[in-house]
This record gives sequence, structure tokens and C-alpha cells, in this order.
Amino acid sequence: MHVLIINGSPRVKKYSNTNYILVKFTEGLRENGASFEQYEISDRGSWDQIRQAFDRNTVILIALPLYVECIPGLLIEFLETLTPKSDGSKLAFLLQGGFMEGVQLRCGEAYLKILAGKLGCAYMGTLVKGDNFMIRFFEGEWREKVTDPYADMGREYAVNGDFNSKACKKFTGHEKFPLPVRIYVGHILKTQAAKGFEQIAAAFECDKPLDFKPY
Amino acid sequence: MILIVNTTADASVTDDLKNSLAGRGADFEIIEAGGLRISPCIGCNHCWLKTPGECSIKDDFERILKKIVHADQMWVISDTALGFLDHKGKNVYDRMLPILTMYLTFYKGQLRHVPRYHKLPDVGLIYFGSGEKEYLKRWNERAALNFKRKSLGVFERDELKEAVSCMC
Repeated sequence: MHVLIINGSPRVKKYSNTNYILVKFTEGLRENGASFEQYEISDRGSWDQIRQAFDRNTVILIALPLYVECIPGLLIEFLETLTPKSDGSKLAFLLQGGFMEGVQLRCGEAYLKILAGKLGCAYMGTLVKGDNFMIRFFEGEWREKVTDPYADMGREYAVNGDFNSKACKKFTGHEKFPLPVRIYVGHILKTQAAKGFEQIAAAFECDKPLDFKPY
Repeated sequence: MILIVNTTADASVTDDLKNSLAGRGADFEIIEAGGLRISPCIGCNHCWLKTPGECSIKDDFERILKKIVHADQMWVISDTALGFLDHKGKNVYDRMLPILTMYLTFYKGQLRHVPRYHKLPDVGLIYFGSGEKEYLKRWNERAALNFKRKSLGVFERDELKEAVSCMC
């Protein structure tokens, strides 16, 4: 199987959480005998190439971050330029986001089902996973702890050609945290996580409080 | 104040709105954004972590952002593509990220960013073309929840009277 992978993140590849995920995902893909070619939407100079690859390939995966409950504006701008297919192409999605629970990504996932039809492709499912916000800020083992599990999903996809297996559904993790976990997570977010965000801001040389109101 | 952002090139819709709202003495402002330079959000996170509340992209969106934080209602008028908003309409929603902070909290059972401003607008959508209406309704409710606000509804161009009845 040969897969066209489109990284739909508007963020440049160097800082793209989606790309860090794809690095691991494609390791698994290769291990199970699939080949791939990958393009980045953030590189507008490659859009002609991506369009040609979309027309040429019949197994396509679009990986993307959730932006305001759906797909990013830049990805829509690119998709608007495609000619819908009629060659039986199969389209799957890898949807990732920052929020931890699966429920946060379901509205975006629902649109991806619609989108596959609009692009004239068979919908092959969406791999849904949150809790990825920190990937770009992590390094070494910390980053790999988050991204390594995607290699398993690459192996699954290489075998099945879709994200409909039990393993892929389970990969999402908690759909909703049980109440005691929510209370605990809420506390961590207000304390340790808040402090962590302020430390990242300091590294960005931010000289204002994070709740500063400029307008 | 009712803020109306028209991301389409069709000013007839805002002419109709002007006539309806002026007759009611409503406090409103219309921004014709179809020809403005509004780039897509690039997810740099600077508005959360480097220059809190300010977007790193310096284009025409900044003046819209300044209005949003003082509006009671915000209405986006958008063309559609692939069943959803076209990129110009979605860019307006994506670029609203600076009105939220990096901090997180649970709100109505959903994990959400803490709004930067105490008062943010409810959000309504008017669209042209063949959008997937049921999906757009669901999506706009979720988008409004991002501001801890509610959706004012989703209306097709020829349902303008119904939309106006929700403007106050």
C-alpha cells in the first residue's frame, strides 16, 4: 500500500505537533510494509504538488489539528482548490488536539465524515486523540512518551487501510473523565499546569501576565 | 452592540440588515471583511504565551478583534465550501483565539480555555450556498462555548428575517 499523507497543520513543519505525530505514525506504517509520500499545507509553495498527488493517489490520509472545533482555515483554503475524485479513492483522517478527552474532538470528527464525501472519497475513519498540546515544547523522552504510541496506529493502518479497528477506537482514551478525575485534573490545571504555561511564556520572553487584556 | 462581520463579497445582505436594524434603532456595526486582508491562524500560540491577547499576524483582523471584545452579539456572514464555512469565514473564527487565555477550566462539562475578557459576545452565523445546516448548527454551538457564550443560531441567506429577530 502506498499512502499520500497531507499534513493539514497551518503551523510550520519544524514546530508542528501533527508532524511529530506523523514521524512516529509513519515509522509504524513502514514497518508493516506500506510506503508513503508526505506534504505540508503550511508550505503554500507546494500546493500544486499536493494537488497533483491528490489526483494521482487513491489511498489518502489527511492529518490535522483541531482548530475551533473543526478543520483549520488554511486547510479549507487548500481543499477548496481540489477537484472532487471519482476513482474510488479512500480517505482517512488523523485528528489531534490539545484537550484531553475524546469528546472534545467529536464535532471535528463529524465534519470529516462529511468532508470525505464532498471530496468524492470513501470515508475510512478518523484516528482521534487529544492531549497533544505540549508536544512541541517537550524534548527527548518526554516528547516520545506522547508520540511513540502513534507508531502502533501506523502499523494498524498499514494492515487495515482504515481506522475502524478496536485498537484505533481505544487509542482515543477517555471519552470523558469520571467526575473524581475531572476534579483532580481541574486542580492540576489551576496549579501545576498554570505554572508550566507561565514558565513556557517566560522562555518566550513574555513580559506580561498571561491574562493581560490589551483591548 | 451588535457586530456584523461580512466575509463575503455580497454587500446586499448587509444592506438588508442595515435597513432592518436601523428601523429598530438597534446599536450595530457592520464590517465588510470580504476585501480585507485576513490571513489564516498559523497556530503559533504567541497570543497565549508570548504577547498575551495580541495576534502575531499584523493584518486587518486586529480592528475586528478590538470590536469583538466590546460586542454583545457577533454575527459572521460567510460563503460555504465543502458543506462548511469557506476559508474566509473560518479564518475569522480561528483568529479569535487571542480573546482566550492559555489557562484551562471545565465549563458546562467541557474543558475550555479561560476567556481573557469578562464579557464576550454570543455568536450567530448567516451563510450563503449549500452548507450542511445541521452540522453548522452543532458546530456554531461548540464554537460559542469556546467563549463561554451561546449560539444565536445558524441561518441561510434567505432566512435573514429570522436572523434579524435574534439580533438585539
